[in-house]
Amino acid sequence: MWAYVVRRLLVTIPTVLAVVTICYLLLHFTPGGPFDTERKVSDAVLANLQAKYHLDQPLWKQYLLYLGSLLHGDLGASFRYADWSVNDLVARALPVSLAIGGTAMAIAAILGVALGIVAALRQNSVADYAVMLLANVGSVLPSFVLGPVLVLVFAIALPWLPSGGWDDFAPRYMILPIALLTLINVATIGRIMRGSLIEVLSSNFIRTARAKGLPMRVVVMRHALRPALLPVVSVIGPLAISSITSAIVTESWFSIPGLGKLIVNGASDRDYTLVLGLVVLVTVMAVLLNLVVDLMYAWLDPKIRY
Amino acid sequence: MNTPLARALSVLALAAGAFAAAQAATIPPGTQLAARQEMVRNNGAEPESLDPAYIETVNAGEIDRDLFEGLTSTDHHDNVVPGVAESWKQTDATTWVFKLRKTALWSNGQHVTADDFVYAWRRFLDPKTAAKIASTYGVYLLNGMDVVNGRKPPTELGVRAIDPQTLEVKTAGPVPYLMRVVSVAQYAPQPKAVIDKFGRDWTKPGNMVSNGAYVLKDWQVNSKVVIEKNPQYWDAANVQLTRVTYLCVEDSNADLKLYQSGENDFMSQIAPGVYNALKAQYPTEMHNGPMLGIRFYALNNEDPLLKDIRVRKALSMVIDRDILASKVTADGQPPLYGLAVKGLASIGQSRYDWADWPMDKRVAEARKLLADAGVKPGTHVKFTYNNSDYHKKMAIFAASEWKTKLGLETDMDSLEFKVLVRKRHDGDFQIARHGWIATFNDATLFLTLVQCGSESNDNRNCNKKADELIAQGNLQTDPAKREALLTQAAKLVMDDYPMIPLLQYTVPRLIKPWIGGYDEANGTDRYRSKDFYILKH
Repeated sequence: MWAYVVRRLLVTIPTVLAVVTICYLLLHFTPGGPFDTERKVSDAVLANLQAKYHLDQPLWKQYLLYLGSLLHGDLGASFRYADWSVNDLVARALPVSLAIGGTAMAIAAILGVALGIVAALRQNSVADYAVMLLANVGSVLPSFVLGPVLVLVFAIALPWLPSGGWDDFAPRYMILPIALLTLINVATIGRIMRGSLIEVLSSNFIRTARAKGLPMRVVVMRHALRPALLPVVSVIGPLAISSITSAIVTESWFSIPGLGKLIVNGASDRDYTLVLGLVVLVTVMAVLLNLVVDLMYAWLDPKIRY
Repeated sequence: MNTPLARALSVLALAAGAFAAAQAATIPPGTQLAARQEMVRNNGAEPESLDPAYIETVNAGEIDRDLFEGLTSTDHHDNVVPGVAESWKQTDATTWVFKLRKTALWSNGQHVTADDFVYAWRRFLDPKTAAKIASTYGVYLLNGMDVVNGRKPPTELGVRAIDPQTLEVKTAGPVPYLMRVVSVAQYAPQPKAVIDKFGRDWTKPGNMVSNGAYVLKDWQVNSKVVIEKNPQYWDAANVQLTRVTYLCVEDSNADLKLYQSGENDFMSQIAPGVYNALKAQYPTEMHNGPMLGIRFYALNNEDPLLKDIRVRKALSMVIDRDILASKVTADGQPPLYGLAVKGLASIGQSRYDWADWPMDKRVAEARKLLADAGVKPGTHVKFTYNNSDYHKKMAIFAASEWKTKLGLETDMDSLEFKVLVRKRHDGDFQIARHGWIATFNDATLFLTLVQCGSESNDNRNCNKKADELIAQGNLQTDPAKREALLTQAAKLVMDDYPMIPLLQYTVPRLIKPWIGGYDEANGTDRYRSKDFYILKH
């Protein structure tokens, strides 16, 4: 298995290179540049700026320069945030996004699986309908609707929590954004878990286990849970990645200084280095998460061997 | 020295003396202050930098004006007040001598000297620094543009320290409003030793040394900048707020929500379309002062269709600014029929004579103009704007005016902001959304929009006679004569219809009733935190 892990990690290198190259070209061919502002930058100043950021060099040379710094772990200087390097910005924003997204994902996974089990075991009961109602509401309502509702209730009508902002990982600022992301993800996970468990419970090996007289709790926990988790695990990887993109809305709404805000500002400001840095980060995270998912597959399903 | 100049100089010297007494924050007698003097103000966007050499936006400038103080400053009424300079005199048309106060200290206790200004200004304009708005401010100083363009070394810049407390500034030509120019944060002093020691990181909390009323306490990118009262500041006795938190919330809805839940005392700006509703909900907390800014549509004067003045005039005449202001934008912005906005210094407001005609007459005249120019109904014009709901609403209104009143078809081109400005600067447009806000109060900043060859002139129009009048005006030492010439120039050039003026910007925002020191008549919308105070509540 270790050989498989190493092989997968090695594949990351050409993947990142391909993504960076495509993104690099897309960025540079996108109309409008980092120095286009309402007040035109004078030709002399523009020349100084281009020299400072090596934009006066041919594109291939700029690209090689960028790759050279990337190899040294240097994501370059930000165009938009003049006092910060991209490394600084990512180092500050990543923990924020991880704290919000990671906590939400963990709660959603535990809660979603639990609710899915309850719904599957009590199929067509009030509990099932209640869980499915929650799941459907969570799926149907986009974060930009759910977010304001949470704020309206818990920050303005009942002033229990701050409506937004951030204060060095103070929990009170994290509760509402985590709740929002959890609600969105728990719906998906709960729905998948329910369907998957119902399907597993009707399998022959479960019928055999029950026929042997095993209690339902043991049947579910020992025999049904692991295979039923397979589809959930496969969806958790993409959900975790999409948490970063959905964070664009969440972070903007709650004024959280995470990666989502950097992505939005970086793209609209044509902050080439910042966008590329974030693309590298998200690509690496996606590859690693997929690897983790694949390894969990092997753990959950004895038939899978690497 | 000639006699009128001598007279003008003596007036200026007197004025400088008078300013010195008017420095303290104006708290009405009998005002009861709260024990806790802390304020949260949303600044609208993350500052691009806190380094005075690199800032370019109002947002960053606002924070830096708290952290750093230049030779002069402007207070909450937009009056020029002394800063590090306690007095100044003009020794000839282009030379000014500033006397720095001995009590001006850096936050590390060292004296602010004339050399700190020389270093800062040279660094700001040095091509190696590559400051984005170097040319905007470099233009005022002797050899400023040569330094920016790399033709002369920064040591040739028209600024020198005569002694630690005396700074001599030479301008490229007469700049009667120099006191306003040097009040901007870009012209604040900079601590050379600290910059040399920390490099780019000198602006980080713990490293930064500043000379303003506040020092940097915390900076969380895309979240907030926290500043605290600087005990070393020479006027610290008159600084009421002990701690100010600048939020960086761009989303107006999020801004409002923070305000409503009590986590923000001072909104950056309310979202479009909610002004009347919020005004009804918070009648005493809503403020909407006029700003020194103009919303207009740039017309490409080199475009085959728009190079005909009759077409440009017709397009301008038929847009009903009253309906635009009252029904479309509906946020208290006054209609505009000329270049100069209300409150802009050194220029009188002009107004097209047809602005007071009934609309039917305006439409008839506009149709005649188009017919004379050979433009038939059904002709297409292309309108380019950046994709925001606000601009879209205005664009749809303008297009409907041109369609219903002139029969012209408008092709709408909605672009991202960066793409729009690039196209506008490159002349790759017919009609384009534009907006302009003065960074300090002088007519010159507005006139650059219509001057021949100006970098700010996206219309690409040129009226040499108007340019001559502007040049003559700027040579005047008598403010009244200067104003008359600049007003005349603006009228002359606007009679060429280089652009379509539409509205004067206002700043609709909510402010908590316990915030004292806000003067919504301040058209620059620049407020030093030292001028605010918290009322007992």
